[in-house]
Amino acid sequence: MEEKNKKNKNDAEYIIELNGLTKIYDGKTVVDHINLKVRRGEFVTLLGPSGCGKTTTLRMIAGFEIPDGGSITLEGKDIAGLPPHKRPVNTVFQKYALFPHLNVYKNIAFGLKLKKVEVTKKNIFGKEVTKLVNMAYMPVEQKVVKKDGTEIVKTVPFCRSYQMVTVTTKKGVKKIKKINMYKKFIDDKVKHALKIVGLSGYEDRDVNSLSGGQQQRVAIARAIVNEPQILLLDEPLGALDLKMRQEMQLELKDMHKKLGITFIYVTHDQEEALTMSDTVVVMKDGVIMQEGTPIEIYNEPTSAYVADFIGESNILDGVMPEDKKVVFAGAEFECVDTGFAPNEEVDVVIRPEDWVIKREGNGILNGEITGCMFRGVHYEMTCVAGGYELILHNTVEYKPGRKIGLYVDPENIQIMHKEHINNTLPVKFTSNTSFDMCGGVYEFKPAACFDNCEYDEENDVLRINGEEVALKGKEGKVSFEFDSIDMTDDEYAAPLAGNVESMIYKGKNYLVDIKTDNNTHIYADTEYLWDKFDRVGIKVEGDKFRFSECDFMNPSAEEAGDKTNA
Amino acid sequence: MRNTFRKMLATPYALFMALFIILPILLIAVYAFIDKDGAFTLLGNFKDLANEAALPKVVKNSFIAGFATSAICLLIGYPIAYYLTKAEFNRTGVLIGLFLVPMWVNFLLRMMSTKAVFNVLGIPMGMGTVIYGLCYEFLPFMIMPIYTTIQKIDKMYLEGAEDLGATPIKAFWKVTVPLSLPGVLSGLTMVMIPSITTFAVTEILSNGKLMLLGDFIYSLKAYNLNMASAISLVLMILLAISMLITNKFNKDGEKGGGLW
Repeated sequence: MEEKNKKNKNDAEYIIELNGLTKIYDGKTVVDHINLKVRRGEFVTLLGPSGCGKTTTLRMIAGFEIPDGGSITLEGKDIAGLPPHKRPVNTVFQKYALFPHLNVYKNIAFGLKLKKVEVTKKNIFGKEVTKLVNMAYMPVEQKVVKKDGTEIVKTVPFCRSYQMVTVTTKKGVKKIKKINMYKKFIDDKVKHALKIVGLSGYEDRDVNSLSGGQQQRVAIARAIVNEPQILLLDEPLGALDLKMRQEMQLELKDMHKKLGITFIYVTHDQEEALTMSDTVVVMKDGVIMQEGTPIEIYNEPTSAYVADFIGESNILDGVMPEDKKVVFAGAEFECVDTGFAPNEEVDVVIRPEDWVIKREGNGILNGEITGCMFRGVHYEMTCVAGGYELILHNTVEYKPGRKIGLYVDPENIQIMHKEHINNTLPVKFTSNTSFDMCGGVYEFKPAACFDNCEYDEENDVLRINGEEVALKGKEGKVSFEFDSIDMTDDEYAAPLAGNVESMIYKGKNYLVDIKTDNNTHIYADTEYLWDKFDRVGIKVEGDKFRFSECDFMNPSAEEAGDKTNA
Repeated sequence: MRNTFRKMLATPYALFMALFIILPILLIAVYAFIDKDGAFTLLGNFKDLANEAALPKVVKNSFIAGFATSAICLLIGYPIAYYLTKAEFNRTGVLIGLFLVPMWVNFLLRMMSTKAVFNVLGIPMGMGTVIYGLCYEFLPFMIMPIYTTIQKIDKMYLEGAEDLGATPIKAFWKVTVPLSLPGVLSGLTMVMIPSITTFAVTEILSNGKLMLLGDFIYSLKAYNLNMASAISLVLMILLAISMLITNKFNKDGEKGGGLW
């Protein structure tokens, strides 16, 4: 997906590349084969809800986590095995991580004092060797005036080099002062960094005496003073209040422009991501869902998940009877999308501001306004049309009860393949009328779930295609529709329970993503609004299951396979 | 009503404190300022103390033993405490338990058996054996506060240091050590003060040859309770002063995980 968005440009313009990057914690895949290329000087944001793997990805780039697979290539070199202190990247932490025992100046100078430079020296055998030494001990040339007035040039470590400078004291007396060049070097850098973050004059302050915003600025100064090739920012504004956050967003964007350093930014705030980034990478469950410019992500989401996560949207179930035609909410619309299978079930996304409100009968769809709220620049209205509840944004107010016609420009209808059209999961039969799915035992009615099936309840004899089968111990796959699930808040009343992971409103019902205890996702349609992390039981009627890929149905499974291939 | 009841809950301890802490301190204060006949004397006991010929040697020995014990305990205790905070060394807490278990064995019993071991090995009793005994006795008091402070240091500071180019060893010296100083300070106080004022350890492990301040007070009680009170009072005041200084030095009280 990401390859498609990027134009095939020269690889040298990418500063860092992640290839198949994977991280597994306790058997759970947190980051799942991520591929990402970041251009030099780009502002890239990893966006997603908590637990989507964005922070883990960042920590792998910084070196705090060792990947379980894949590579991180920085400037053509694989750095995945390097410890953090050897990587030319610096991090701004969410909780700042300023050293409480050091003042502002020493916090910022921390990295500079550890900076290493390559020095070529002759070793005792007369061979030239290149070694990494602390910058303080880098040999530099130093002019020394001897007592007899002659000048000689000596080689001294940087930390002992000096310059004689004439300074005028307050009283107007001219004095010659010896200035340590190493100290001056660090001093200049620290002061420059403080100036960039707007905290000049705060050198001697205790970091604990600073406000959250100021501490964050110090943290940024501490990172950029080292001139990293990439600056990593881990939800740096998460702990600030709204006003401060908005101001810091602008300032960070500004700093990025001035410094020209590549920024990789992690946030769960979609507004922040859209405001600041050149490229937004939307993540979910350790996988990149979509990658693109903020405008692409907003206007052309490729999945219902991204559409729902970024901004407000109407997400509806639809069908594409043919190219450039889509049916949803009981009406047929023209659109610009092609390449879908005939009558493919699709997700349709329409941004609330893209609805054009017309006189009743003049649009494609007729509806009635049911609610209206003033939202500053526009009115937010709810409207029922074709049995679906829609959200409309318009600068003109339409009172509840008003009948309207709705139209959408074909360009503004975003059509996406459905991620799932039903639940299909592996099962193991425990008897002729029950099976185990994800640790829950479900009863089913064989006659309704298998084709050509007879079941003699009294003698427990099951015949499929005329042959007698004992199901116990057999394995296969079961499918059931989203709307066949009955969600209950009493988890013990259902064979299987899980936690609500996310919900998407589809105009008529919610599509709920339930994560079972063994990390399987089950999707359910429900009229009721559940909350994230709600514990729910998953009930399914015994005649709603369909089985496939069972070992005993081999011949028919092959036939089915042939059909789909053709 | 509720409040009164809550206050009442403190009564047993308040009584205990009055009887066994405040009253004895007051008694010491009173005894320090009266002579043998019970007459008030402002400085008499202190003058006697100054004239006591054995005192300078006792004070000298006490300080040697105190400083040596603290230094050795710090050298042994810090690395242990540090490694105990590493999860891989202390997954079940068994190791930290092992360091504390000796404290469950009666202290006199431990000293007697230590003495027996020294006797078997033919090691002469003296300052060396006393310092050994003191270290043996007070090492856990050094480990515990250092362990708690290091454990409380947020891992993000170490990550921050490594991110800025510090090797793990540099990060240890530049972050862990300075941030664990409050714990070191409480550890030093908790080892130094009892080892100066302890008795019995010296009695047993030097065959009574060596005398520290604690033994000195113990020896006085038989014939001069007033002088013993005077010296106790002086010690108490010195300790209070040192504690005040420590607290001032350790200004981020909430961050340090000391025991005070």
